[in-house]
Amino acid sequence: MHPSTLICRHDGSRPGGARCGVSAILFAVRDLLRVLALAAGVSAFLAVQVVGQPASRQESPPAEPAPQQASAPEAPSPPPAPSGPIIVLDPAHGGTDTGARGEGGMVEKDIVLQIARTVRAELERQGFRVVMTRNDDSNPSYDDRAAVANAYRDAIFISLHVSSTGTVGTVRAYYDQLAPIPPAVVASSAKYRSQPSQTAGLTVWEDAQRPYAGASHHLADLMQIEIAGQFPGSPDTSVGAAVRALRSVAGPAVAVELSSVAAPNLNSLTGTAAPLAAAIARSITAFRASPSGAR
Amino acid sequence: MPHKWKIAIGILAVAVLIGLISLRSLHRRMVRSAQTQAAEEQARHEVLAAPISTPTDVTAKAKIFWAVGPDQIAPVEVELPLSADPVQRSRQLLHALIVSPPTPGQRTIPADTELFAFYILPDGTAVADFSDALSTETPSGILSEEMAVNSIASTLASNVPGLRRLKILIHGQEVETLAGNVDLTGFFDLNSAAQQASAAH
Repeated sequence: MHPSTLICRHDGSRPGGARCGVSAILFAVRDLLRVLALAAGVSAFLAVQVVGQPASRQESPPAEPAPQQASAPEAPSPPPAPSGPIIVLDPAHGGTDTGARGEGGMVEKDIVLQIARTVRAELERQGFRVVMTRNDDSNPSYDDRAAVANAYRDAIFISLHVSSTGTVGTVRAYYDQLAPIPPAVVASSAKYRSQPSQTAGLTVWEDAQRPYAGASHHLADLMQIEIAGQFPGSPDTSVGAAVRALRSVAGPAVAVELSSVAAPNLNSLTGTAAPLAAAIARSITAFRASPSGAR
Repeated sequence: MPHKWKIAIGILAVAVLIGLISLRSLHRRMVRSAQTQAAEEQARHEVLAAPISTPTDVTAKAKIFWAVGPDQIAPVEVELPLSADPVQRSRQLLHALIVSPPTPGQRTIPADTELFAFYILPDGTAVADFSDALSTETPSGILSEEMAVNSIASTLASNVPGLRRLKILIHGQEVETLAGNVDLTGFFDLNSAAQQASAAH
C-alpha cells in the first residue's frame, strides 16, 4: 500500500474513492479495538476491585469462617505452632469432572471440597501445616496435583474421594499398587538401569511413587486402623489399587474414599470430616514416629 | 452515525453471519459423525455379542469373579464350553463375566460392555480391548473401578495358564483412567491376581 493512502482524513470526509475507503476501514477497526481494549481494561480493574484479588487455581487462601465469640470470659488457647511435614490435601475431581454422582444430585467434587476444608481446619488446629491442591471448583491435572506435593521435601499427600458404591458410612484407605517392572523393560530402558525409578539422582515423573511404595503402604495401614475405629464396618487393613492420583507423588501418598454418594443426605457425608481429620492426624503422628515416616 | 462506524458494524455483521453459517455446518457434521460412530458400535455389538464357540471347546468348570456384597468380589464356579486356545478361552471367559452374572447385583462390568479384541503377546502380556461402555458406564470411584478391574484380572488369572500381566484398552486406545480414578496406563499383574484369587477361595 502506498503511504499516501494513509493520509486520508480520519473522519472519512475526503472523497477518496477506494483508497480512502480502505483507510477509513483501517481507522475504524483501530478505533473499535481501542474502545474494546479500554472496556476490557475497565472491566478487569472493576473485577479486581470487587473480588479483592485474582482467582487462584491452586491453594488460594481458604474462606475460613469467622471465629465464633467464646461465651467464656477467657480467650481460647492459641493453636500450637505449625511443625512437621506438609500435609497436601487433594480434593479429587473438580470443574467439569464431577466424579461420582448420587441420585439426589450430590456430586463427589463438591463433597470432597467441603470435607477437605474441614479436615484442613482441624489439622491446622492440631498444629499441622496443610496445603490444598484446589480450593475452588477447578480441576488441576493429576500432574499438577502431584506437583504441589513434590514442591516440598517432606510432604504427605492425601487424596480425598467419595465413591459411587460400597456400604454407606464406611471409609477405605488406598495405597498405590504398582505393577512390577518386567525384567525386559528394565534391561532395555536406561531410566531403570541404575535403580528403579531413579537415574542419575532424578526421579522418573510417571513412576515417582515407586520408591515410596512401602512408606505409603505403611501410612495407609495406620490410617485404616484409625478409620476402622471411627467408622464401623470399614475394613481393618488398607487396600492396594492403581490409583492414578498417587502415581506421580514423590512421597508418602494415600487415597481415602468415603462410601458413598448414595448416602441419604449431604450432612451425613460432610459430618464425617471431623472424625476423619482426627483419624488422619493420629495416623500421621504414628507414621512419623515409625522408621518409614522418619525422614 | 459517522461513516466509519457504519463500515465497522457492517464488517462485524458479515463476520457474525459467516460464523453462524460455519457453526451450523460444523454442528451438522458433528451429528453425522456421532450417528456413524453409533452405527459402528451397533454393528460391532451384533457381531461380537454372540457366544464364542471353537472346534476345541470342552465343557469345563471355570471360576468367574463377580461381586459379593457392595465391596467385594469372589469366584463363582460355572460350567462353560472353553477352548484350548488361550485367546479364545479368554474371550469366552470375559464374555461370561459380562453377560452371565448370577444376579444383577453381582455385576461388576456394565452390561453394554463388549470385548472388541483380545491378544496375548509372547511375554505373557494379555491385551483386552473393550468398548467405551466399560469406561462410561462403570460408576466412578476407586472401589467400583477396582472391583471391575479385579474381576477381569482374577477371572483371567484363575482360568488361563501362562498369562503374566494385563493391559486394558478402551476402543483400541490407552486411556488414563477407567472412570476417573483407577490408572489404565500401566499393566495389572496377573500373578498377584492369581494369588489373591486363590486366597479368596
